[in-house]
Amino acid sequence: MAVLRWQEVRRQAADPGLLLMLLGTAVALGAFVLYPALRVLTYPTLRDYLGIPHSLRWLQAARNSLIMMVLSTATATGVGLIFAFAVTREDMPGRRLFRTLALLPLFAPPFMVAFAYILLFGRQGLITRGLLGLDVNIFGWPGLWLVQTVAFFPLAMLIIAGVLESIAPSLEQAARNLGADEWAALRSVTLALARPGVAGAMLVVAISVLADFGNAVLIAGGFPLLATEAWFRMEGMGDLTGAAVVVAMLLVPTTALFFLERYWVSRRLYVTVTGRGTRLDRPPLPAPLRAALVAVCALVSLLVVLVYLGVVAGAFTAVWGRDWSLTFDHWHLAWERAGTLLTSLKIGALAGAITAVVGVVAAFLTSRAVPLRRALDFLAVLPGAMPGVFVGVGFVLAFNRTPLGGTPWLVALALAFWHLPMGYQAAAARLRQIERAIEEAAMNLGAGGVRVLLDVYVPLLLRGLVEAFAVSFIRAVTNVSIVVFLVAPGTMVATFVILGLIQSNTWGAAAALTTMLLAVTFAAVGLTGLAVGRALRGQPVG
Amino acid sequence: MRRGAALLAVILGVLTLAGTAATAPAPRLVVYSALPDLETSLIHREFTRRTGIQVDALVVPAAGTLQARIRTEKDRPRADVFVGGSRDFHIPLAREGLLLPYRSPVAAQAKINPAYLDPDGYWHGWYLGALAIIVNTERFERELAPRGVRKPATWDDLIRPEFRGHFVMPSPVTTGGGYIFVAAQIFRLGEERAWAYLRALNANASQYTPTAPGTITLLERGEAIVGMMWAHEAIGARVLRAAPLEVTVPPDTGYEVGAVSIVKGGPNPEGAKAYVDFLMTRVPQDINARYGFRYPVRADVPVPMGATPFEQLKFVAYDLDWAIQNQARVRERWTREIGR
Repeated sequence: MAVLRWQEVRRQAADPGLLLMLLGTAVALGAFVLYPALRVLTYPTLRDYLGIPHSLRWLQAARNSLIMMVLSTATATGVGLIFAFAVTREDMPGRRLFRTLALLPLFAPPFMVAFAYILLFGRQGLITRGLLGLDVNIFGWPGLWLVQTVAFFPLAMLIIAGVLESIAPSLEQAARNLGADEWAALRSVTLALARPGVAGAMLVVAISVLADFGNAVLIAGGFPLLATEAWFRMEGMGDLTGAAVVVAMLLVPTTALFFLERYWVSRRLYVTVTGRGTRLDRPPLPAPLRAALVAVCALVSLLVVLVYLGVVAGAFTAVWGRDWSLTFDHWHLAWERAGTLLTSLKIGALAGAITAVVGVVAAFLTSRAVPLRRALDFLAVLPGAMPGVFVGVGFVLAFNRTPLGGTPWLVALALAFWHLPMGYQAAAARLRQIERAIEEAAMNLGAGGVRVLLDVYVPLLLRGLVEAFAVSFIRAVTNVSIVVFLVAPGTMVATFVILGLIQSNTWGAAAALTTMLLAVTFAAVGLTGLAVGRALRGQPVG
Repeated sequence: MRRGAALLAVILGVLTLAGTAATAPAPRLVVYSALPDLETSLIHREFTRRTGIQVDALVVPAAGTLQARIRTEKDRPRADVFVGGSRDFHIPLAREGLLLPYRSPVAAQAKINPAYLDPDGYWHGWYLGALAIIVNTERFERELAPRGVRKPATWDDLIRPEFRGHFVMPSPVTTGGGYIFVAAQIFRLGEERAWAYLRALNANASQYTPTAPGTITLLERGEAIVGMMWAHEAIGARVLRAAPLEVTVPPDTGYEVGAVSIVKGGPNPEGAKAYVDFLMTRVPQDINARYGFRYPVRADVPVPMGATPFEQLKFVAYDLDWAIQNQARVRERWTREIGR
């Protein structure tokens, strides 16, 4: 084995194509992952960092962010668990529908839930005021809590459902055969085994809630949070140092959670269940439990569907809250800004292509005994620990004064490398499933490293490549937290314009443009026709 | 065998195609606009029609934000023009050497009051506005009037405890209106008493919106009952959308001279000069009066519908020099003391 390894290293050293690939990837990761991160952390002086405890506002923002994280993580994971449990039971009515509905928020821009809920549940809300005659203030932390629960429970559901699916039905059957009643079997087998999934989901949701910018900026009102405070510092006061300090503060908990998830949950606890098991059906659920599950899933699904209905309705309503008559005027206004949609598409395509290519190349390199292997692996997953606003500030500090500044490339590169862990991890997982013998055969026939990658692996990874492209594309097109720092007049993207329209009281046009953006996103999902949902799991949101 | 290479070629193709397609062609004019989206796009459409110059606009209805951006980009300016926002936000940029002086011949021709133009040519004033107290009458009549609450008529009325949690205004850190309001309180009360006033007002505040129109959004939709805001924004909402808003311009109010300036080192200085000339003509000032309800500086453009003539308003003795010199310090103190 050792001999083989050494031979491999020697062979690769003599392979200029592979060496070039290695060098290129290392430079790219160093420049677009490591450098911006270091730039943020070293931009403030030690004195600036020491000033944190003296800034009442920052302490307040940090405290608020942590409170929001605890509250939203608890509810989002709870709802996610219920959903995951329900959709993985064969005898659950409507399980496919519930699953599809629950995934919908993952394809929308991150501010959309907040926007729709202001339309529906605010003081002029269609439901609160129009239907129930209530007078509700949705701004502030309770509104944000509701919104983040709906926005992030799908992530929890995906992760937990993945774990539940891998539990062999035979275990539950065995418990029943040993005399456990339905409840005891559920409790002592299924839910007990799901625990690592729940823990993993909690950590991922917690990162997302901490980092969320889009919902927070719309609905948090006078409730300062770290993610919005960074933007306020930079865009409000031109205080780059302050912005860097705030995002550095935000990085501490997100990194900690990220590495907890990665090294504690993913590695150790997920492997409690092995083997696929036979195609046994899971035992039927007790009827009252099934009824309760349907009720909860129906209620939450309704909240999700309302997000989409609210936005579409907003696009056709003359003046929300006062004049409910049908109008197409907003579409005219939105259509004038449709060019920004095109910019979004171009930047998304660019970002998706970079993520896919760099992801596959990096995964290919780290799957073999090349020098720098561990460093490359670390850098390729690192962006998953970074909040979007951190990446945004990092790219501003690192590249704003270079020729990249203000170009679409800057935005695309920031998005592409932020999404890199998705492409990389998916490709790495697929690579592990490919028999090495194929490669060895090719090498024995005289193929070099590049040739092996192109002719052996790329065709086998094609699906993964397209998937990585699609996920990165969708995320790029709907991103707010990064683009809000990087847009320039020539690179105005749709999400930024929509946010501006909402903030300048042009809600109808904002709703119309959001509807157009959603159409584009779903068209992209439909075109790729892939299980994009699975690949979305556990990735940075915000 | 060659499928892999072909696929890579396709991906690289997409990359280059997207790359080339995404880079902007031709010398266009880049405008940072602190006016709302609607007025900005109407004015730009007219500008392009007349001059043939295409405009790329960054629209953020918050002058402080755009001022911050121009500062951040000073080594490599991206914008040609900074339009909208009070002159309070243009003058500091001029002092820092970030603006290009220019004297528009159109302004001289139109005999615009020299008080609205910078003698050194760093900025041109092209509209006026006054700060006001706005009340959402629908909610006021329903919730506060039955309890015998009077509508606020002066700045001091705003700190009455019955408005607790019902007050909104734009943030003094990101918006011109918010800053001018704070400065006006300082000129009205003296610095220390002004901060005591602002702290008392803060007890009533439910939100400080990051953009100026954001305040109108909240008032118009009844998310708040009273607010401090540009009179023209509220009049606009009332006239255009029948919003239930009442506008009172209290004594000792602050005002703005809305300005336009040319960013030094921007990519298209000639286009920028054409833009300033254009704003000094009737059409854009008329658009701004008609859709934004801001007072024009040209005497030959009609005053906006529903607005009291500018000369009849009672202004505080606004010390422009002081307001500008202390802008950074006051905003810093605001974040420290009020912290929202």
